[in-house]
Parts: sequence; structure tokens; C-alpha cells
Amino acid sequence: MTFAAIRPPLQRPRSATISGVCAALATHFGGSVRRVRFLAFLTTICGGAGLLMYFWLWALVPLAPSDTENRRDVRRSVPMAMLLVVASGISATIVVLINLGTGPRGSSPFLFVVALTSAAAVAWSLGVDRHDTSRSERYGAWVRSVAAGIIIACSLAVWALQPSFINSVFATAFMIAGVALLAAPRIVALWSDLITERTARVREEHRAEVAAHLHDSVLQTLALIQNRAGASSEIARIARAQERELREWLFEGDAAPTTDCVAEIRSIAAAIELDYPVRFDVVAVGETPDDAPVALVAAAREAMLNAARHAGGEVSVYVESSARTVDVFVRDRGPGVDLDTLPADRLGIRESIIGRMARAGGTGSVRHGTGGTGTEVHLRIEEQA
Amino acid sequence: MNDPQLLDVVIVDDHSIFRSGLRADLDATVQVVGEAATVDEAVELIARVRPTVVLLDVHLPGGAGGGGAEVLRRSSGLLESVRFLALSVSDAAEDVVGVIRAGARGYITKGSSGRDVSEAVAAVAGGDAVFSPKLAGFVLDAFGAVAGEQSESSEELDRLSTREREVMRYIARGYAYKEVAAELFISIKTVETHVSAVLRKLQLSSRHELTVWATARKLL
Repeated sequence: MTFAAIRPPLQRPRSATISGVCAALATHFGGSVRRVRFLAFLTTICGGAGLLMYFWLWALVPLAPSDTENRRDVRRSVPMAMLLVVASGISATIVVLINLGTGPRGSSPFLFVVALTSAAAVAWSLGVDRHDTSRSERYGAWVRSVAAGIIIACSLAVWALQPSFINSVFATAFMIAGVALLAAPRIVALWSDLITERTARVREEHRAEVAAHLHDSVLQTLALIQNRAGASSEIARIARAQERELREWLFEGDAAPTTDCVAEIRSIAAAIELDYPVRFDVVAVGETPDDAPVALVAAAREAMLNAARHAGGEVSVYVESSARTVDVFVRDRGPGVDLDTLPADRLGIRESIIGRMARAGGTGSVRHGTGGTGTEVHLRIEEQA
Repeated sequence: MNDPQLLDVVIVDDHSIFRSGLRADLDATVQVVGEAATVDEAVELIARVRPTVVLLDVHLPGGAGGGGAEVLRRSSGLLESVRFLALSVSDAAEDVVGVIRAGARGYITKGSSGRDVSEAVAAVAGGDAVFSPKLAGFVLDAFGAVAGEQSESSEELDRLSTREREVMRYIARGYAYKEVAAELFISIKTVETHVSAVLRKLQLSSRHELTVWATARKLL
């Protein structure tokens, strides 16, 4: 018989009975799970070594890598918390029966078991079941309430049946423990909130620090590059694109991307700048409408594209939105166009800008820039109301 | 401002690479007489050299952490003779409004070419205000000039006149002063007067929206 060249890794499965230790050992050594469990049980009753080994492996053997994003995604088939509660209930009954019959003598170990199992049930419910998707919130609440109830009831019973000094001390201690168990989920929740909040703050601080640094150094350098390379050169365009991306990352943060008219025009400008030696200066004034009129944005895109193709250089885009109207001006400093002398096949301006705006119930006009330089396209649309 | 005489300029910026770049880019009409990298250096240098124009970065280390606006406040005694032109990579409204209200005569972005900066320096030295299209857009927004709600205030400082509004709109559309003048059939000097008046309002107005706007939004 030959050894397998590579054993399966020692890792606990994500779908386990209790913790997956036995299954992990069985897979790793190639035996049956049942045999491993039997061995564990045997060594546990013979002095408890098996139990110690079990806990040790539980702590040290890693979980199998998760298929999903949720790193805590572990399912356990045995409702351990409920079993612990049941054990606690049985022990509590035994304690009460002993006290009813022979007196307090001999009930202390069972009292100890009651305390231990109830606490373990609550700990299991909070520490393990909370991350188990197959255990509901309600189930956890029930388990914890019952565990605390058992402790309190047991202590009251013992105190009522055998009202001695030592018993009242025990009863008080148990009451406190019971109340603590009931309050435990709140405390755990508060604690984890605190941790989450602190992590978020540290992250935010770190981000602010990085942002400040980038703002000071990288943005400056990018500005300088654009400056020195000339506004419409390839290098300046790349630097500008980088600057814009960085700026968005720095200032927008985690804010949801907006889809209003101005945001769309800005992204159009960014896209055109990548393809043509042109620089758009987009200025927006007023409250921008959320539902950007499609025709307006499309016509603005056409106008900007024309400016980029035929003029280049610096192009100003001005968007002014008031309660009822939206105006868009696209102004370039190129050679200018004359609508009358344009060949008929040049559909860009006539169709895509003027025609489109007219169909959408707005107006589009093209005119020479002041002093004979450049072109200005004016788009205007009014709210249909 | 048509004087062939050189304009003395101090560049205040914490990045030496940017200072040297700008210095090399500026026109022959401008003479750089000093450079400073921190708030304290800048205040000391400006008081000693007394340049015509200071090119002032909005973000500066040192001092009480107030950046360019702090330099302006600490040099407030010199504002009569020394003109400040704010330079920034940022278009954030807080930054722009902060330095303008602290006394800067204009604002341009660092992406501007050396020629643009030189022209702006000349304009500021001549007593004019320098408005970028973005700053003009900001003014229109801050004074509520578009929404038509500005008439509610009776305070002269808190509202723009019709002419001022028109001028601001043209500047926001990318028109140079000369083009604005031609468009409105007025002289360049009149345009400059309007712009200066708007600058003064921007500096002195206590209009509530101005501060709210500046903090609530970022000018991109």
C-alpha cells in the first residue's frame, strides 16, 4: 500500500455537525468520520484528554476557504445552544429534586453544571449562532431567555427550599448572572458597534491623510505637467484625465454617483477629452434637474464633439438651470462655422443639434463667437408643465 | 497696466517644482522677486519685499494651518498696496470663497498657462478683479441670480444688479472681458468696473447662502 502523495489539507468544513473537527481529521487521515468520533468519545471519558484535544484542534485548525464573500458563513447541523439549555434544565431539575428530598447536600455539583451550561448556551448563541445563517434571531433570543430563566428559577427554588446564609449568597450571585445573561446580547452588540465605528473612523482618517497628501503633491504635479506640456498635447491630456480621476476619488468619496444633467455632460466632456486635443471647462449654475432631458444631453454631446473636432483647444461649456428652463452654451475658439455655406451632407449641426432640440420642444442655435472667432452653440429647453 | 515697467511678483507655494515651473512660464512683463513656501515665510517676505502682486497658493503649510487665507489675514495691513491673486489646484468652493473673502483680488486654477497667469497678474496689478468662469458660476449660484430669488433681499451688497448678472453669465460662458464688452455694447472699462463691484460684494456680503453654499457644495 502506498501513501497518497498529498493528503487533503487539514481544514474544517463549512457545513459541520458541531465544529467540524472530527470531519476534518477524518478527511485528512482518510478514515471514516464515525471512527474518529468514537475515538474522541473514548478518550474523553477516559480522563478527558479527547475533549482537550478537541478544543485544541477547534481553536487551531482553519476553516475551509469560503465560496461566497461572507467569511463567517458556517453552518452547524447540531443545535448546540439548545442542547446546552436542555442540559441546564435537567441539572436544575435535579438540583431542585435533591433539595426537596435529602436537603442541600450533594446538589452543589449540579448547581455548578446549571451555571456552566447556561452560560455556555448564551455564549454559543452569541458567539457562534449569530453568524450562522440557519439560526434565526428569534431562536437565539429564545435560547438566551430560557437559559437565564433556568438560572434565576433554580436559584430562587434553592433559596426558598433551604433558606441558609450560603444559599442566599449563591442565589444572589445566580440572579446577577441570570440578569447578565439576559443583558449579554445588548452588551455584545454595543461592543461590536463600537469596534465597527472605530474601524470606520480609523479608515476615514487614513483616507483623509492620503487625500491631503495626494492633493498637495500629485495634483500639483499633474497641473504642472499640463501647464508645461501645452494644453492640447497628448501628455497634457493624459495628465488631465488622471487628474480628473484622482479628483473624483478624493472629493466624491463614497458618495453615490449622480446621474443628473451636469454629471452627464461632465462625463461626456471627460470622454471626448480622451479622444481629441481639447479641454472642456464645464461650469454649472443652479439646481440641476435629476431627469436630464435626453435630447438636451445628446445635442450637447454633439455640440461638444463638433467643438472638439473642428476647433479644439479650450472649450467652455456652461449649463444654467432654473426652475423652468435649462440652458447649455458650448463655446469654442476655432475657425467658426457658417450654417448657410455648410454642405448639405453635413448633418451634425443641422440634424443632431438644431433638429433634435426642435423635436424635443426646445431650441438650438449656432452663431459666430464675438469678434468673429469661434462658434457658440446655445441649447435651451423648457420644462413641459 | 500697459506700462512697460516690470511687475514685481512673489510666488507663494509649498512645492518648489511648481514655483520654478511657474517662474519659467511667466511672461517677460513679470519679474519674480521672491518665493515663499510656508505661511510664516510668506507673511515675512511680503512685508519685507512689498511686491505688486502675490501669487498665492490656497493650500499652504505652516502658521496656524489656515493656508492662503491666513497669509491674507496676517498681511491685511498691506492689502492697499499689495494685490493678491489666488492660485489653486482645487476648485472647491470653500477654498475659493475663503481666499476671496480674505482679500484676494482674483482666483485662477493652476492648470492655467503661463500667459494666462501673466495676464491675470497684469489685471490684478491694474486694480481689476480676475474671475475664472468657475468663479463667475459660483457667484451666480451663491447670489441666487439664476433661480430669480435674489430680489427678496433689500441689502445692496446681497444682490447683483442686472448688468452685473449679465457680465457674470458671459464670463461663466467663457467670454473674455473684451468679448463681454463687445457683446453688451459697453467699454472694457465698464466690464472691469462691474467685475470689481461683484468682487466687492463677494467679499463683503453677509448673504447667508454664500456660506451655506460654500460648505454644502464642492465646485468641481
